[in-house]
Amino acid sequence: MRKILLLAKRDYIESVRTKAFIIGLVVAPLLFGGGFLGIAILKKKPDLRDKRIAVLDRTGLVAPPLLRAVAEKNAKDAYDKVTHAQIEALYVLEAVAPSPGDAEEQRLALSNRVRSRELFAFLEIWPRALHPGQETKPAPRTVGYYTNAGGIDATRNWLRDPLNRAVRSVQLAQLGVEGSHFEDLLAPVAIDSLSLLARDPRTGALQQAKKKDDIAEFAAPFGMVMLLTMIVMVGTAPMLSAVTEDKNQRIFEMLLGLATPMELMAARVLAALGRSLTSSAFYIFGAVLVLQGMAMMGAVPLQLLPWFFVYLVADVIMLSSFAAALGAACNSPQDAQNLALVLVAPVMIPFFVMMPVMTAPNSAMATVMSLIPPFTPVLMLLRQSMPVGIPAWQPWVGLVGILLWTVGGTWVAARIFRVGILMQGQPPKLSEIIRWAWAK
Amino acid sequence: MHKAEPYATLELMPAVEISSVTKTFGEVTAVDDLSLSVPEGSVFGFIGPNGSGKTTTIRMIVNIFYPDRGQIRVLGHEMSGARNHLIGYLPEERGLYRKMQVRALLEFFGELRGGRKVGQEVAAWLARLDLAHCATRRVDTLSKGMSQRVQFIAAVVPEPKLLILDEPFTGLDPVSADTLREAILDLRRSGATVILSTHDMTVAETMCDHICMIFRGKKVLDGTLASIQDQYSNDTIRVAVGGGMAVLDDLPGVEKVRDLGQVQELRMALGCDPHEVLRALVERTRVTSFSVAKPSLHDIFVRIAGPAAEEVELA
Repeated sequence: MRKILLLAKRDYIESVRTKAFIIGLVVAPLLFGGGFLGIAILKKKPDLRDKRIAVLDRTGLVAPPLLRAVAEKNAKDAYDKVTHAQIEALYVLEAVAPSPGDAEEQRLALSNRVRSRELFAFLEIWPRALHPGQETKPAPRTVGYYTNAGGIDATRNWLRDPLNRAVRSVQLAQLGVEGSHFEDLLAPVAIDSLSLLARDPRTGALQQAKKKDDIAEFAAPFGMVMLLTMIVMVGTAPMLSAVTEDKNQRIFEMLLGLATPMELMAARVLAALGRSLTSSAFYIFGAVLVLQGMAMMGAVPLQLLPWFFVYLVADVIMLSSFAAALGAACNSPQDAQNLALVLVAPVMIPFFVMMPVMTAPNSAMATVMSLIPPFTPVLMLLRQSMPVGIPAWQPWVGLVGILLWTVGGTWVAARIFRVGILMQGQPPKLSEIIRWAWAK
Repeated sequence: MHKAEPYATLELMPAVEISSVTKTFGEVTAVDDLSLSVPEGSVFGFIGPNGSGKTTTIRMIVNIFYPDRGQIRVLGHEMSGARNHLIGYLPEERGLYRKMQVRALLEFFGELRGGRKVGQEVAAWLARLDLAHCATRRVDTLSKGMSQRVQFIAAVVPEPKLLILDEPFTGLDPVSADTLREAILDLRRSGATVILSTHDMTVAETMCDHICMIFRGKKVLDGTLASIQDQYSNDTIRVAVGGGMAVLDDLPGVEKVRDLGQVQELRMALGCDPHEVLRALVERTRVTSFSVAKPSLHDIFVRIAGPAAEEVELA
């Protein structure tokens, strides 16, 4: 143990004094939070150019109310309510009468206007949008939206509401409803998200439901796993290249005369843990300051902090031993760079499934994924921090899985490390690396 | 050159005892049923061509590799890593933490092995090897020779009972090599056992009390220099002649000629009479020096591991 502590102390001190660690400490939150920062910046700088859309109305009825609905929505959404400054692009609709000639030629002419950027898109309103049954063959109630914009097109979503209001208003008029009732009849009903009621077990008083803050409900779990991932990566990411560098500098043979491979690897893992705990102190302190400043401390599930640190320690041990084994298998910094993707996979895969897990934290997919040991720290913590909660046994089963995985993985990693650190020459094949794990 | 003093501890417990050890890597047998005994307090020369299994054997002694078969006892104990604090090891693959300062690095290595602070010993060794002025320099600013001396200090602080040196003189200038040689012999005088792996036969001849040669994983020589040479007859003639190498062609009874520059070494065939050789030489040229001797360690090494030996083996 004395040797492990001495080696770990050296590794820790040498690594936290490097510029790379200090820069990583600052850059990691920027990288992880960069996406949100980018969105926030872009929101401040919207594209205010008018979006011209031609409306080819084959009903002869929908275009006028649609133009009115769009004008109303422009007036409501496009200007700041306090400063009256324009904050969004205006949608400018241009009614185009259907030509008596070839309909395809007219569509082509409009398409060319879109291509030449004179128009952003054009709408073709078919009669079936009003009365699908009037067609010779019943068809879905749709209109045509012709554009060369990408799959995610905000304009199409924006138009959905005024278009539906226009179509409904025509239909209501045809049913004989007076125009003065349209606003009342067509106003959408919003759904308020409320917390559950509860009775205080001590006082017996009824705790009323509270209106939920959607952003806080999303931000707390998301922020927590983001913090966990960031701290783990700051601690473990340097391991891969550090082991490869030491191997290239032929240090290990000298060290192996003084300590066992297991002691060397344990020291590396301990140093990674030290780096992670150092960065966690830095980030948690920063997060508390930010949350207090935003008056959002109440949204933080403080009861999960013990789990947070359990997952943190387990994740660091798992990933850093994995990184040490990979680093030992590399013969050059280039090899290490190529394998970096393998190292971050256990961290990145949970990110790909994060949204579905947040949407349905108790789905079969979410449960199974969170019980796969390399993904447990991120996904189980994410599920635990969701207000809906998860069965109490699942974190414990996940923890047992992590412990077994960590012990087994570290043992295999140590065996690979032991052989790999003395191997020079050609990079080993995967089959060779696997064989090292069982070599005497 | 300093001639090693005869050691008086041959009859004591061996510092290292290797019994029937075999080590394989996949299809390759690196060490094949090797047995040897390193007398305590001796300088034990470990020689052999590249790839013969020397480094593998050394790595098993320091517990980096484990034998597939056989037993290794170090300082009286079955090898299990427990005695590593008594073993100083200078590997052939030199490596130091390049960004650390020299003194901090040596204190780190010393504390790691000895389990105690070693500041004074480090300072004394730095002064002895003329590195005191480098104590606060980063390792990556040192010359190759300086790095080598630093690495040597890392192997001898705190003072080991068993010191294993793999090619310690490679890359050193003559002055540094002499300093290191003195230091090694001083450690031996103070009771340490030294295993010296080297390709330099002169070093082996002059420094080692006992020499073991390993070839293709097997021991082929083991004993003092004199006892090894006694295995060979007086079949070597050293001559200095005028007229160059041409006059040495086709001498009666001479099967091989080796040019050492100022002197030539002739190996006689079995039953060859050196007087006949001398007579033939005198008839051809002026002979300034002529002596009959046992083969040098270098010559013995080449006879065992040289291309001719390979050919004989293939035949």
